[in-house]
Order: sequence, then structure tokens, then C-alpha cells
Amino acid sequence: MAGTNPFPLSREDLLKAYRTMRTIREFEERLHVDFSRGDIPGFVHLYAGEEASATGIMAHLGDGDRIASTHRGHGHCIAKGVDVFGMMKEIYGKKGGSCQGKGGSMHIADLSKGMMGANGILGAGAPLACGAGLAAKYRKKGEVAITFVGDGASNQGTFLESLNLAGVWNLPVIFVVENNGYAESTSRDYATAVDSFVDRAAGFGMPGITVDGTDLFAVYEAAGEIIRRAREGGGPSLLECKMVRFHGHFEGDAQTYRAPGELDDIRANSDCLKKLSAQVTSAGVISAAELAAIDAEVMALIESAVEQAKAAPLPTLADLTTDVYVSY
Amino acid sequence: MARKISMKQAVNEALDQAMAADPSVICMGEDIVGGAGANGEKDAWGGVLGVTKGLYAKHGDRLLDTPLSESAYIGAAVGAAACGMRPVAELMFIDFMGVCFDQIFNQAAKFKYMFGGKAETPVVIRAMVGAGFRAAGQHSQMLTPLFTHIPGLKVVCPSNPYDTKGLLIQSIRDNDPVIFCEHKNLYAIEGEVPEASYAIPFGEASVVRDGKHCSIVTYGLMVHRSLEAAAALAKEGVEVEIVDLRTLSPLDIDTVLDSVTKTGRLVCVDEASPRCNIATDISAQVAMHAFGALKAQIEMVTPPHTPVPFSPTLEDMYIPSAGQIADAVRRTLKGGKH
Amino acid sequence: MTEPRLSSPAKVGIIANPVSARDIRRIIANASNLQTSERVNIVLRVLTTLSAGGIDHVLMMPDKAGISAMLLRSLQRERNLHHRFPKVEFVDMDVTSTVDDTFTAARAMQQAGVKVIVVLGGDGTHRAVVRELMEGVRKGLPPVAIAGLSTGTNNAFPDMREPTIAALAVGLYASGRLSAEQALSPNKVLEVGVDGVARDIAIVDAVIGSDRFIGARALWKTDSLSAAYLTFADPQVIGLSAIGGLLHPVGRNEPGGLAIHLGHDAASTRLRLSVPIAPGMISDIPIADWTVMPAGVPFPVSLSAGVVALDGEREFTFDVGQKVSVTLRENAFPTVDVARCLQTAAREGLFRLSSPSP
Repeated sequence: MAGTNPFPLSREDLLKAYRTMRTIREFEERLHVDFSRGDIPGFVHLYAGEEASATGIMAHLGDGDRIASTHRGHGHCIAKGVDVFGMMKEIYGKKGGSCQGKGGSMHIADLSKGMMGANGILGAGAPLACGAGLAAKYRKKGEVAITFVGDGASNQGTFLESLNLAGVWNLPVIFVVENNGYAESTSRDYATAVDSFVDRAAGFGMPGITVDGTDLFAVYEAAGEIIRRAREGGGPSLLECKMVRFHGHFEGDAQTYRAPGELDDIRANSDCLKKLSAQVTSAGVISAAELAAIDAEVMALIESAVEQAKAAPLPTLADLTTDVYVSY
Repeated sequence: MARKISMKQAVNEALDQAMAADPSVICMGEDIVGGAGANGEKDAWGGVLGVTKGLYAKHGDRLLDTPLSESAYIGAAVGAAACGMRPVAELMFIDFMGVCFDQIFNQAAKFKYMFGGKAETPVVIRAMVGAGFRAAGQHSQMLTPLFTHIPGLKVVCPSNPYDTKGLLIQSIRDNDPVIFCEHKNLYAIEGEVPEASYAIPFGEASVVRDGKHCSIVTYGLMVHRSLEAAAALAKEGVEVEIVDLRTLSPLDIDTVLDSVTKTGRLVCVDEASPRCNIATDISAQVAMHAFGALKAQIEMVTPPHTPVPFSPTLEDMYIPSAGQIADAVRRTLKGGKH
Repeated sequence: MTEPRLSSPAKVGIIANPVSARDIRRIIANASNLQTSERVNIVLRVLTTLSAGGIDHVLMMPDKAGISAMLLRSLQRERNLHHRFPKVEFVDMDVTSTVDDTFTAARAMQQAGVKVIVVLGGDGTHRAVVRELMEGVRKGLPPVAIAGLSTGTNNAFPDMREPTIAALAVGLYASGRLSAEQALSPNKVLEVGVDGVARDIAIVDAVIGSDRFIGARALWKTDSLSAAYLTFADPQVIGLSAIGGLLHPVGRNEPGGLAIHLGHDAASTRLRLSVPIAPGMISDIPIADWTVMPAGVPFPVSLSAGVVALDGEREFTFDVGQKVSVTLRENAFPTVDVARCLQTAAREGLFRLSSPSP
């Protein structure tokens, strides 16, 4: 059954990539359901539909490479190796969560995995990633830093200043614009004066490319070249991933700003997981049964994470005032 | 006897010794070297007032000139700190904090807490504060209360060269984000400073003058104005105690309370704008914890609620004077109203 | 803003691709990045030149990537300055921001009866327009000429030329001052078939590779290439067709194409060729053999499974059991021969204004 593997990832890495994407998808879809039931406090911003971007890029990174994420950070966390059980507990505000319940969905971080945090301030990750890139330059191990912004946040001054700073200091920083066409409810067509993020890169003296963010291999290939270039001292660049998000800006957003039928069309025709499954099975590299087995394992993982999150203890009054400072 | 150096030199020496001791310390800021990319001298400025001059020759590419992009490079300093470096970023004038405040108060200040204790952000942001340079409204503020207000930040404001060197070295060694305030009108003052490296702990106020009749609690340039007021009052037989807070966060409130318990009178002198400033904070804490010791109303000496004016006569009226401080002390003695 | 009250039907269409020259060759080579504002400048120069040539109505492809929006703002500004422009009408269509927009616009322009379409793009954009127009001709619509302007990466197909000059030639033909015989040139295409059924076309090259995914589309890893089929082989262009151009040149107006088999190991390699396969990127290509492709003869692809790249971009994969073949067709579609138009116009005095004052 197994054909020769024509893809740029090994069979093992293909399975890993599929598992990562499926884990992100099921994690987010489960949150969507549980949020609508009122189980989850605060705000969540779901990454479902965007999995190929995080997965295709993170496939090239190690723990020493750093990423700075957005408010829509669960996908980046999972792809970077942050523990799913810790994440779920964090989202439920429980002790033992990735941030001991102190950060929540928008601030999940794990510096041991090079994940510098999801961020509630749009565009704030760009300067932080420049800092990580600066530290990487001094460490001289060929490490890189990646900042993810959405099409909306690419209009923040912090983003534009960071493009300039990264160019001036030749930092190994990659700016990934995850263009899903909407900044909250405002279409990118409205908010961006010249509708090309790639042109902005040119304006700051670095190359920029656009890829189909729903195609894992397109992202993987492009990210591979960009990251290799940065590791070798070629400096910063910009990668625009054109993609779609399945859910609203935040959970509870009815998405009335979308055209009728737009969401159904997206789910049918722009689903990166469906595309990947079709490609690897039709090439005879991975069987549908293997994929189904991964799906089942992932569903069990998510179920277990939710159970553990619900069972985990709440933080206490003593926890309220800890960890403001290292020492005071 | 230790030699005397200026506060400006004390900053320079602290940075030099900290960088020599720890390779993870880097400095960045606008024109901290000067001449970047130009055809003239490298290290042309060494900072807009020459504070960092000479460091480039010793430490080379650990000093980085930055483009005019506070949110980018302050954010980069924060990010580099989160990745294990010890950056000292210069915000040329604290008045510029508006363009990069998010990186300071929403990012650096909150990483340790929001990430459940695992992050450390040992960044120092040095900034010039204070009026008297005729630099007008956007280059003369203190703004110290805005930073003191933020949980997760530490705020340091020395009044003399000895404290400056020791507190800056401590700030760089500290593992939390520190805002290090340098009063531009104190750069020239001289004082005895040991040549060796030394650190002064945070949260320890300094009683710079003993007295029994009234406690003046203050910081920064106002310590010197208070000392002038004290000299004038001494001629009237009034001995004031002056507590130099040195660090606003963490705050050594115990030294303040001990002093007020001893003297029974409090005058808070603060160069920051009057609404919600350090003076109001100290006053409230003393009223809560030492009410019984007070023999008179608490007095505060602050500028008026206005931007810092340009015209020298106006600016001189804006900044609290030794005379105003002495009058406030006298009012506590007479129990008089304004 | 004054519009002509009664403008004639559009004789000229413009298709400006906002996403050409945006791909990975910016990273792996130092390929140019043509900013949106530059593309709009080109369109504006074309429009004023057409207006001077008597064209008062142009049909344009709309887009959501910034060209249309910036063009409209610029046109308003230019009219405030009393510069003359044709009426610019956007095709009434949904914008999908995919290559489908190019197909839709070309079809609409052909149905509207334009005589020529000015294309701003690379080889891929021109290919999409040609494919749609040829399909239209098969369905009985009149042929439409193409005037290509290079705003892509390799630009093997469109001439590198100042757009003003191309627009002068377009104006001469579209206004009828030059006939089709005087203005147009015939062009070859490659027809790619799968299992005997025509699947797609290429206007410069069809390259077969062993990768089985489309991925980042551009082709630059030469060790996965198996064969290249070319409509013409010009030594002065970059891209995969340069393999032929530097091996065995075949002119655009000469009959036949070129079929090249690449070597995959030492035994199969007859010679190695140094080739500019991307801007600034010179690669070492192992050649097994090559032969001229006469028109009408299907050349079967020997690779059993892989990917077909058309005019520089991977377009579709094929599996074991599927038989791919490539056939050259001559005189497949017309282009405006800008050099010939202007030389004819100069000789015949077409740009001389009314006689000099006595």
C-alpha cells in the first residue's frame, strides 16, 4: 500500500503534522462547544481553520527558537509543543494550568518551549520577537524568532516599527501575517490602505512572500526557505499566509459580517485538514485507517484534558498575590 | 576618602562595571553611542547628555543605537530579557513613555504573574525625569506615580551619586523590570562614590537628615530643595528629618512611619503633578497607619496641576521651592490652614 | 469628473494581476517585488496613452488586492488635474482573489467584443488569459489579441518594454488604424493531455517533476525535474525555458518547439548546462537528450507519477496509471507585435499630426 513518499516531509513527520493539526482542530472545536454551554470563563479566540499555518511553520523550529503569538494563540501553543492538559486547565482558570490560572486563554505561555505567550495586545508580539531575535544573535546558535500577527494587527505601529528595527539590526525574525480577511468584524479590504502585506516588507527592505495558508505543503516549503535564510544570517522576512477562520473573532461573535453561505463554503472548500488527508491518502503514503486512528487518539486526548481541567483545583487566596515579582 | 564624581559619571560607572561583570548585560537607546551610520566620529554623543560616553570603546557591540522607535526597541528589550539577557534600555525622556507604555506596563510588568511564575523579565529602563531645564511640557515631567501604580514594576529614583551607582547596579542585577529615573538637573551634582562595584538594596529609604520636629518625605531633586529648607528652618530652631525614599516601588514605608511616629508631623514633597502622586500615596498610608502619632495635618508640597511651562520665570515658579517647603513645615508647627 | 456621454463599446481590456511576483522566489533568489503602487502607475500610463490613441472605453478586471482601489483614487485625482482618460469600466463579477478572476474577466471581455487585452503579469497570468480566450474561440467567440506587460518573476512570455510603447501599439490596432495582418503575430502553445483528454496549456514551458504536491508552486529545486517541453527557446530569457534557450535556441516565430529530457544520474546525463532558472540564480542542469517538437505530434511523458508545472508554476499532479502527453500547436493565439506596429506606424506616418503651418 505505501507508495514512495513524494512529499517534503518524511512519513513520520507527516503523521506528526497531521496529529498536530487534528489536535488543534479538536481542541478548538471542543472549546467552541463548551463555551456555548457556559463552561468557560472570559474570552476565547479560536484558531480552527488556520491549523496549516502554525503547523507548517513550527515544523521547522526547535525549543531554542522563540515565537510570540496573538490573542488567537492556542494553535501556535499546540504546534510549539505546549502541553495540552496545561492549556485546558489554564483556559478553565485552574491551578496547574500553564500559567497557574493567572493568565487565561489570551496569555498562555511556556518559555521552556520557546513560546513567549499569546498576547492580548495586538501587535505587541512584534517587538518582543525582535528582542528574541536580538538574544539569538548574541547566542550565535542560529536560532530564530517568529512573530504572528493578524491582518488587522499589521496596521499597529508596533508592527511597522518592528519591521524597520529588524531590518536595521538584521535580526533573525520572521513576521508571519495570518491574513484571514477580518480584523474582528472589519474586513481587511477596508482597513488596509494598500492591500498587500508583502508590499510593506518591501518598504522596509526585506523580502515578503504570499502563500496559501490552507495548504500545509505550501506553508511548509515557504517557511522552510525563510527560516533557513534567517538561521544563516540572511535577516528578516515576511510571510503572508492567506487563510480562513471558521469561528468568530471571539466566541459569542455571530459573524453577521460574513456573507450568507460564506462559512459553509469555507468549511467545504478551504479546510486544511481535509486537503492534507486527501493528498497523503491519494498518494498512498498514509492510509485512511491510520488517520482515523490518530483522530480517535486525539479525541480521547481532548476529552481527557477537559475532564482533568474540570477536576483540577481552583487557585486560592494565597495564589492571588504570588509571582508579582521575583523578589520584593 | 572616596573620590567625588558627578551623578552622570556614577551612571556611566555603574553601566561599565555591570557590563564588565556580566556578558548578558547590553545597553540600547537613541544615540547612546551616537554617530551610527554617519561619517564622523563613532561615540559622537554617548547619549544626548553624554551619560554613556566612553562605554562603546570598552564594550563595543553590546551598546546598540536604535532607530526612533520606542515601542519596537523597548519591546525588544523586554523580549530579550524574557529570553535570558539583561538589557538596559534608555528611554531618553520619561515623557516618551506614551509611545511605548504598553511594552512596559502590559508586557514586562505582567509576564511573571500572567505566565504563572515561570517568566523572568530582568529589564532596566533608564529615563531622564524632571523639570528645570527649560525643556517645556513634553520633556520635563516626573511621571513616577504612573509607573509606581503598576504591579510588577519596580521604580527607583536616586537623589545623589552614591545612591545612583549602587541602585543602578542593583537594578541591573534585579530579576524584575525596573524603571530607573535619572533627574536631569542632578547629573552635575557631585558626591563621594566608591570605585569598586556595590549594590544598594531596594525598599530601603535613607534618612539623610535627622530631626525631631517634622518629617519631610521626598525623593529625587526635592531631597536637595528639602535640605535647603532644612538649613533655613534650623536658623529658627526647627529641626526637620528628611527621608529620601530612593525606591518608590518597593516602598520602605516602615522608615517613614518610624520617622512620623518620632516627629508627629509630615510634609510630603513631590515634584510629580499633584493628583494621585507619591505624596498622596505616602499621606494616605501614614494617615492609615500612624494617625495617632500625628500632631498636625499632613502637608504636601507639589507643583500646580498644570503642564510644565516653558518660560524660565514660570518654570521656576512651577517647581516646588525651598521656601514653599519651609512654609509647609511651619504650617504643621502652627497647625495652620492654607 | 466628465465622462463621454456616449462612449463606444470597449475595444480594449486590461487584466492586471495583483499577486504576480509575490512568491517564494523573493526568498530563494533576489526576485523583484513589484509594489501595488507600481502596478497602478503602469495601468495609469497605459490608460493615458490609450486615450491619446483614440480609445475612450476600457474594460478592467476588478480585484480586492489593492490595484482597483488605488486606481480609482488615482483616476479621481488625475481628473481633478484635467488629464484625459478613457472611461474605465470594471467587469461586473464576484472577486474570488484566485486565478478564477482572470478566467472570468477574460471571458467577459471576449464576450463584450474587445479586440485586445493588455495583461500585466508574469507567464502564469498570461497563460490563464490565453487559456480562457482559446476556450472562447472553440465556442465560437471571436479571437482576442494579447498585449503582454511583464510584472511577474521570470517574464519569459511578455516582452520587457516600457508600457507606454505597448499601449501605443494597442491603440493603433484597437482603433483600426492598423489591421490584424499588420499588427498581430501568431504564437505557439503546448497542449497538455492526461489519458488522451486535453487538460491544460502552457505558453512557454511545461515541465515535469517528481514531486507529488503543489506546495509553494514555484519550481526551483532542479534535482526533482524530469523533462521540459518548450514552445520557444530564447537564450535571452530566464526560467526553466532557458534550459532550451541555452542548449538549442528556437525562435517564437520559428516552427516547432523543443522537448528536453533531464538526466537523473551520471549514466543518463549526456552533458551539464549552466542555466539562469530564476532571477540571479544560475543552476547546473544535467541534460539527457533533446529534440525538436513538430506541431501536432503528442510527446508522451515518461515519468509515471509526478507534478506538471506550467509556465513556471506547479499546476496539477498525476498518479501511476495516468498517461500525460504534451503536444505543440502552432498559430494558437495572436499577440500584438509591438515592434512591428510601431515601425509600420513610423513608416506610414501614422503619428504625424495635421500638416505644419505654412
